[in-house]
Amino acid sequence: MGSLGSIRRTFSPWTDPDAPAHIRFENITKNFGDFTAVNNLSLTIYEREFFALLGASGCGKSTLLRMLAGFEDPTAGRILLDGQDLAGIPPYRRPVNMMFQSYALFPHMTVAQNIAFGLRQDRMPKAEIEKRVGEMLRLVKLEGYEKRKPHQLSGGQRQRVALARSVAKRPKVLLLDEPLGALDKKLREETQFELMDLQQDLGLTFVVVTHDQEEAMTMADRIAVMNHGEICQVATPAEVYEAPASRFVADFIGNVNIFDGIVTDRDDTGIMMVADGGFEIQASNPGKTEKGHQASFAIRPEKIRISAEAPRSPDVNHISGEVWDIAYLGDMTVFHVRLDSGKIIRATTINDARTTEAALTWEDRAWISFSPDAGVVLTA
Amino acid sequence: MNSVWSRFNIVSVVLGFAFLYTPIVLLVIYSFNESKLVTVWAGFSTKWYVEMLNNRGLLDAAWVTAQVAFLSATVATVLGTMAAVVLTRHMRFRGRVLFTGMIYAPLVMPDVITGLSLLLLFVAMGLGRGFLTVTLAHITFSMCFVAVVVQSRLLTFDRSLEEAAMDLGAPPLRTFLQITLPVILPAVVSGWMLAFTLSLDDLVIASFASGPGATTLPMKIYSQVRLGVTPEINAVCTILIAIVTLGVIAASLVNKRREVQRLRDEQSAAR
Repeated sequence: MGSLGSIRRTFSPWTDPDAPAHIRFENITKNFGDFTAVNNLSLTIYEREFFALLGASGCGKSTLLRMLAGFEDPTAGRILLDGQDLAGIPPYRRPVNMMFQSYALFPHMTVAQNIAFGLRQDRMPKAEIEKRVGEMLRLVKLEGYEKRKPHQLSGGQRQRVALARSVAKRPKVLLLDEPLGALDKKLREETQFELMDLQQDLGLTFVVVTHDQEEAMTMADRIAVMNHGEICQVATPAEVYEAPASRFVADFIGNVNIFDGIVTDRDDTGIMMVADGGFEIQASNPGKTEKGHQASFAIRPEKIRISAEAPRSPDVNHISGEVWDIAYLGDMTVFHVRLDSGKIIRATTINDARTTEAALTWEDRAWISFSPDAGVVLTA
Repeated sequence: MNSVWSRFNIVSVVLGFAFLYTPIVLLVIYSFNESKLVTVWAGFSTKWYVEMLNNRGLLDAAWVTAQVAFLSATVATVLGTMAAVVLTRHMRFRGRVLFTGMIYAPLVMPDVITGLSLLLLFVAMGLGRGFLTVTLAHITFSMCFVAVVVQSRLLTFDRSLEEAAMDLGAPPLRTFLQITLPVILPAVVSGWMLAFTLSLDDLVIASFASGPGATTLPMKIYSQVRLGVTPEINAVCTILIAIVTLGVIAASLVNKRREVQRLRDEQSAAR
């Protein structure tokens, strides 16, 4: 896919076929009675990667994490950590630590005792434990709180203690189950960046489970989008957004307009297709389409231009409709345009000037247009 | 809330509390009666308390009761807690529902039946009736109460605490001792106190399971009453009431204090 999105990456072991796998799920299946939580799933995660498992609740992402931690045994398949099969190794002997969604702080222990708990289990000398606890408190900016009990802390402080406790043992892998789910929006955004810095500083592998696509996009090197116990796509945030592998992924991440139609012409450089209402779409990436078969064209709202007059260039796809709804969000404006076929199209414009005369208003006729490479052709 | 006391409210409160406490108040008053006759008031005196302290039989019975109650409550707490942990933790073993039902059944079993069946068992085993048998009998029936109290606490216990402890390297037994037990300790303690009181005031099962040389206080009181109620018995009962009242007040004061402290902590954390 070359250069999708605007971020240039220096860390991308997944593009190197010789890079050693850090965590490998091999054909993992997990059944709970009749319910299949994870279905024949394989996945490789590399060292020092910030990896996100993203999906709606019940998609199997938490089960996958719990199998890695050792709280659930896979029904079939195996999990390898640095080449070692984890089967039969109980949670208390695995070199991975987990930060729980509920934080699971021990209510009868102080902050310092909570952080020291894991170190005490390893019989670390007392002086060293004290030193490490001090380091951890500095790391999460909670110096002076060591004598407090968990119920004497605010939600954000509890989250930091949970984090400090789970990294205190310097695990090979840190598992985070919805780490920011209990925080309010503002604090969540700050903490996202703090988590990224922490991961850089410690050089650990992070595997985070989340249902929040924005959170996954912000923090992760790669995202695995999951649905019904299977992986739909594993890719960088930019690839998942700009080149979704299926309708499900396109729909799950961000907003998208999807035109369904029949392919009328196809060669290696692109296709022509006809969507509802005879709308002819020219697309520059043919995908796995076949002439005469069904295909869908997915395009993000910000890649659609909206104007009062028809575009002059004949090369862009364009169709007219009626302005149905306008939502002003400050940084951008969202237009809903109703095509003559009845389909509603979402288009956004960036408000990069403070005062612009609005060219369009409700019930105006408007043209939407987009270039052939602005969207992606999907067959699944 | 209605702050004005209507006549109806006053009457209901007086009637309700009179119904509950008249017998006890009468008993306490007559323990300070000068006369030997229980129903005739002849002036204030503490002589029956002195008499009681000189009654060897009563004091022995009280000592036996205290020992039996302490021992049986302790053993019942250990066994009951273990049963509760197994029943709430291991969700999927065969016959769990049956076992849970069997834990609850002795709660509603008439004491007479429990006592009789234990008596038959002890006779069949050739166990001489005495201190050991009455203690065993009390463990048997109070264990279920402990199990129920602890189980209800465990149902609201956040399992991720145990998972976190294991994740940090604590094997199952250490997890139980360092995390689970401290957190559920209040429930275990109240289970112990429940078992202790149950053993303290049990008459029926003790009469079946106990033998000569291990007469408990309730048995002693009952047998003396059959020979006629003396103010001495009233004195013993007054002391028992005093002990229980003090215990209840102390426990609720401690609870209240902890609650207030906790509330204050949470408010300061929210700031």
